[in-house]
Amino acid sequence: MDANGGSMETSRQVRVRFATKLPPPLRVPTTSLAVPSNLSRMGLSEIVNHLLKNMDSGYQFQPFDFLVDGELVRMPLEQFLLAKGISAEKVLEIEYINAVAPRKQEDPCLHDDWVSAVDGSNPSFILTGCYDGLARIWKGGSVCTHILEGHSGAVTAASVINRKGEESENSFYVATGSKDRSLRLWKFDAGEHVDHPLRIRAYKIFQEHTSSVQSISSAPSGDMVCSGSWDCSIKLWEVKESEAEGDSVSIKKRKLLSDAAEQESQLEGTATSTLVGHAQCVSSVVWPELQTIYSASWDHSIRQWDVQTGNETWNMVCGKALNCLDVGGESSALVVAGGSDPVLRIWDPRKPGTLAPIFQFSSHSSWITASKWHTRSWFHLLSASYDGKVMLWDLRTAWPLATIDSHKDKVLCADWWKDDSVISGGADSKLFICSGIQI
Amino acid sequence: MPAAMAKSLAASKKKADRVEQEEPEEPSENGFVREYGDQEEESERSDAVGSSEDERSSGEGEKDGKDDGKIHQSSEESDSSEDEVAPRNTIGEVPLEWYKDEEHIGYDITGKKIRKHARKDKIDSFLAGVDDSKNWRKIYDEYNDEEVELTREEIRIIRRLLKGRTPHAEVDPYAPYVDWFDWEDKGHPLSNAPEPKRRFIPSKWEQKKVVQYVRAIRKGLIKFDKPKEEPPFYLLWGDDSSVAENKRHGLSYIPAPKPKLAGHEESYNPSIEYIPTQEEINSYQLMFEEDRPKFIPRRYESLRSVPAYENALKEGFDRCLDLYLCPRTRKKRINIDPESLRPKLPSKKDLKPYPLTCYLEYRGHSGPVNSISIEVSGQWIASGSTDGMVRIWEVETGRCLRVWDIGEAVQHIAWNPLPELPILAVSAGHEVHLLNTGLGDAEEKMHIKELLHVEEVLTDDAGNSASAVSWVQHEKHDGITLKHLKTVSTVEWHRKGDYFTTVMPSGDSRAVLIHQLSKKHTANPIKKLRAPAVSAVFHPTRPFFFISTKKNVRVYDLSKNKLIKKLEPGLREVSSIAIHPGGDNVIVGSKEGKMCWFDMDLSSQPYKRLPAHPKDITNVAFHRSYPLFASCSDDCTAYVFHGMVYSDLNQNPLIVPLEILHGHTSSNGRGVLDCKFHPRQPWLFTAGADSVIKLYCH
Repeated sequence: MDANGGSMETSRQVRVRFATKLPPPLRVPTTSLAVPSNLSRMGLSEIVNHLLKNMDSGYQFQPFDFLVDGELVRMPLEQFLLAKGISAEKVLEIEYINAVAPRKQEDPCLHDDWVSAVDGSNPSFILTGCYDGLARIWKGGSVCTHILEGHSGAVTAASVINRKGEESENSFYVATGSKDRSLRLWKFDAGEHVDHPLRIRAYKIFQEHTSSVQSISSAPSGDMVCSGSWDCSIKLWEVKESEAEGDSVSIKKRKLLSDAAEQESQLEGTATSTLVGHAQCVSSVVWPELQTIYSASWDHSIRQWDVQTGNETWNMVCGKALNCLDVGGESSALVVAGGSDPVLRIWDPRKPGTLAPIFQFSSHSSWITASKWHTRSWFHLLSASYDGKVMLWDLRTAWPLATIDSHKDKVLCADWWKDDSVISGGADSKLFICSGIQI
Repeated sequence: MPAAMAKSLAASKKKADRVEQEEPEEPSENGFVREYGDQEEESERSDAVGSSEDERSSGEGEKDGKDDGKIHQSSEESDSSEDEVAPRNTIGEVPLEWYKDEEHIGYDITGKKIRKHARKDKIDSFLAGVDDSKNWRKIYDEYNDEEVELTREEIRIIRRLLKGRTPHAEVDPYAPYVDWFDWEDKGHPLSNAPEPKRRFIPSKWEQKKVVQYVRAIRKGLIKFDKPKEEPPFYLLWGDDSSVAENKRHGLSYIPAPKPKLAGHEESYNPSIEYIPTQEEINSYQLMFEEDRPKFIPRRYESLRSVPAYENALKEGFDRCLDLYLCPRTRKKRINIDPESLRPKLPSKKDLKPYPLTCYLEYRGHSGPVNSISIEVSGQWIASGSTDGMVRIWEVETGRCLRVWDIGEAVQHIAWNPLPELPILAVSAGHEVHLLNTGLGDAEEKMHIKELLHVEEVLTDDAGNSASAVSWVQHEKHDGITLKHLKTVSTVEWHRKGDYFTTVMPSGDSRAVLIHQLSKKHTANPIKKLRAPAVSAVFHPTRPFFFISTKKNVRVYDLSKNKLIKKLEPGLREVSSIAIHPGGDNVIVGSKEGKMCWFDMDLSSQPYKRLPAHPKDITNVAFHRSYPLFASCSDDCTAYVFHGMVYSDLNQNPLIVPLEILHGHTSSNGRGVLDCKFHPRQPWLFTAGADSVIKLYCH
């Protein structure tokens, strides 16, 4: 590797060729260049930008990230090659991609209390749950259009139910879980234009949990919801709107118990099945495929359940109390979980015989409260922590791609939105939206 | 003869002294007299003198009236033997002292007393000396009570004796030897008998003895020491402090340390390079006393100009001091590697998980947090502070869910152990409040509401103990207030959630009370406590009841209502107690910072004392499921220990210190006031005087 740098000690050179999978206006000629070996990512980015500028004078500078052998360059090129043991005598193939970083910080959506749950799975609106017992719909990420009212305790979980091909475009279903031990299903029409936030009531209430509901996830088909609770169980619920028998009975029971007589429009549902196995609070449930549910619990385990039979199909103990879980990444099979320590861990359940995480990211300094895979990328995920930071990660490097520390207090929840934004809510009662992330 | 005679002799000596002055040419006589008085062995000789005197007196025959002719003659016949001289006095061989004060000396043959001669007084003797020129020859013989005058012959003999010669001048001590045996003309020696045969044949008995020895040697009964070989050479400069060499000194011989041999610099005229410069000498003053060189080399032109050693006297004195003060016992120094004495403890890594780092803080109180309690499921934590507030927090997020204003500093707080009865027992001042947290579902809420309802008339239901406690509905909050007579320090629930106990340290016979929630009844089962009670806890599985007083821990069987055990921690002041969930092990924390682990099956003495905190221990806690226990102290730290209790009764509990948790800040000299473990996770909550509650996670 000293072939080029033998004469001039200060400026060794490496021959590189830039390649990309980006669309044509961002492609540079594939000729090989000799660049100083002490260039870091910034320098490489500058070179690519200059090349692009040469091709097109109207080009706007933008940051790029560089991949060598499937690994992001995070140090001077020379150091990187040394560390990876890559020969510098050959022409180095460098792939460049768009740098993943938030470019825009939008105005925070103010809440009355701690924002405890957020869901950005629908690109047209954001669903948030709040400690004041209300869930809110933020249309376009800025205007609160609906306030979902009815929980008597803090809303701890919220999920948008994507019912495929059933109703009109603007009718959406939403499920929330609360510390008042109940799940509520809501339906609202996003099409109508409103000046004031509309207060709507739940159309269905599930009250079988004996302790606070901690997390909700909806089935990919959209007709079922599962919930994890402090009573150590996972319950599955039907979303379907009107069911004749059974509901009336429960209404009567409800009337007997408390005098919520005016809520006749609200139906009570019962759980279709209960998955029992966890020994402690089920802190997170994910329903990525029709037949499988993943759950993480404070009993230090991650379990996989078969929906049909209600049996546990996979079980893994990690040693820490877990707060969040998501399944995604490579062929939607990697499990990411964070818990009562600052380390974000990623497991591959397909790997037999080992329980060791395949990736560990430990840049946080406190509990991790949320971890989400990017829906389209195999490599990108985000994590939120009590240290007030939201971090973006790429599996191809051990350092965070970006750190969003706009929160003044604990971050309680975070999610992707519209594939290019990160939304996060925290104990400072704000929902922050960071957009402009190109993946 | 001797003493009395000596007296008289002493008198005559005086006289003799005078004589000596007058007649210096006769000193020998004085010398004789003196010797005569001094030496008692000379008595025989005196007898001889006496006998010779007899001769003389017989020759003179004037003074000795009672002279006996026979005796005289017999003495005449053989003057060499004194045995034949009969004593003339009649008292025999007794000390004359016995007759000193008597008038008589002895008895005559008719039994009459023989009277002593009247003694001459000094004037008479003086006059006699003046009158009679021969008076100096006279000697008073006390034994025979007479005065004897020595003849010229006798004096001559005495003089010769004094000079060491033979008494008689005619005796020739060096007379030529006359061999009486006639050696000439004799052909054989004295005896002419032939040599006997036995002299020529070997002795039979000797042979027998030899055969005996030979046999003994053959049998090995007699063993011969190998002849000692003296080493031909020896180490002239060898170390004579070796053990073999000094065996003869006895067991406790300790060789003196060898002094360092003198080097060149100690010469009187060392080379110039050994002489330190003045700066170097000055720099010695800056050194420590021990590091300073003992000897500073100096140069002298010649050996004779070397002055006397100035420290000689001082060192001699020090040496004497050393010898006199040095201990006479041998100090035994044990040469053991201190590492090997350490008990083998498992490494901390193997004992994971245990609380390690603080990730969450619960802020909101405005005064020191006195007590915390965690709900059974581990979802909620309640805290009571001196600012009069009781707060419920969500463990997971640190969110304060509910606040009650009690109005008085909260001393102790406890969740009901039943998950379906989320009731808080809060002790503040003279009152214990049972607060409805409202966390249960609707059905449970109704049940709790029923449970926490008392009619106003309920004060008289407890009979005689009603005066100690009265159950009243709380005015402001949803709950019951138990009004006590004295300040209540702690409140603890029974595991079944119906009974709870309160402790009034100054309550004397009513210090410890047990209340029943369902019947609103108060009992006072334990009346006699010798020391002020500190806290009381129920056994986790059996109907036992632990009361810790300041001195000891008393264990009562509540079903039989009697004392079963008394644990003696031997600490100054017990401050806290915690029971292992298995129920057989107890830890006790004390105000002096020590903690004791009791194994109830083992003894009433502590199994282990853990000296830990530099300040008062405020609380100790066991984990419900993990083998962990912790103590917190006013030094702002909490210590976490691994405390494994084995189900095998033969195996003692394993105690390993794990971690010191820092983080709290001191306030008014108080540090961490309470510590509790999370019921399900290996996490530790600590409540500090800095009004913060911290959660330490694994």
